[in-house]
Amino acid sequence: MKDAQSFDHRPDPELGGALRAALEPTADHAAFVARVMGQYERALERGTIPTFEVLASWFRPGIAAAVAALILGFLFGRGILTPAPTSIDAAMAPSEGPGLAAFITATDPPDASVVFASFVEQQ
Amino acid sequence: MGNNAEDKDLVDHTLAGEREAFGVLVDRYAAQARRVARAVLGDPDDADDAAQDGFLSALVKLAQYDARRPFGPWLMRIVANAATDRRRRRNVRRAEPLDPSLVGGGPRPDAVAIRSELGERLRSALGELPERRRTAVVLFDVEGYSHAEIAGILGIPEGTVRSEVFHARRRLRTLLEDWKEQAK
Repeated sequence: MKDAQSFDHRPDPELGGALRAALEPTADHAAFVARVMGQYERALERGTIPTFEVLASWFRPGIAAAVAALILGFLFGRGILTPAPTSIDAAMAPSEGPGLAAFITATDPPDASVVFASFVEQQ
Repeated sequence: MGNNAEDKDLVDHTLAGEREAFGVLVDRYAAQARRVARAVLGDPDDADDAAQDGFLSALVKLAQYDARRPFGPWLMRIVANAATDRRRRRNVRRAEPLDPSLVGGGPRPDAVAIRSELGERLRSALGELPERRRTAVVLFDVEGYSHAEIAGILGIPEGTVRSEVFHARRRLRTLLEDWKEQAK
């Protein structure tokens, strides 16, 4: 056993044997095997639904619920914020005064009061 | 180490629900798992607890085992991790200093005592090594795993495994040589 052998790529039987003896388990082999096998069913029960799978099982319904909520929120918000569509004729018809029709059909440049009036009427 | 083809067959049978197949795997790898766990933990009772944790964890994760690779290194990785976890959780004792009576001369004991004394010295020397180093040397010189397999077990580069084994061997061989000189 020389120091040069420390980089040897093969196991050292002498050192390995001494270490094996030093690390040899103190309790009986068969008793240990029986002890592990005694926990067999319990381990499988515990391991049937690992934590990750529990999280994964909640993940998909959670994502689906979030998407559904977003769609419903979008539709509901759109219904409230968007005014009911009006026809082009209704938009053109003046409720009072010269209004938008006068603004569009006029040949002369519009007077500022006409422009202002068309805005006010639409509001 | 077990036969790879047989191991894979036993894994298949275990996955099919055959309890006995897993029992054969435990019987086959128990000694190795207990030694590796003891290399990490030092205390034999803690080591047995960790080895048991490792086996049961392997049972639960068995479907994740890649049958194209050897079973032993896969299992030893789980056992070594279980031992490391237990060591962290319990803050297991650090290496106890060598008993001066074991280091110095003293009367020459009989053969059994000599063997026991060497074992005690080696365990103490192992306990003084960093955890990764002592696990690497045990996996290499005791369990016969290759550097590449140990790299997979410990999750470190192969070059680091070579370095760890080298340093561990240098320390342990010095101790072993000193002991042989004293025993003459």
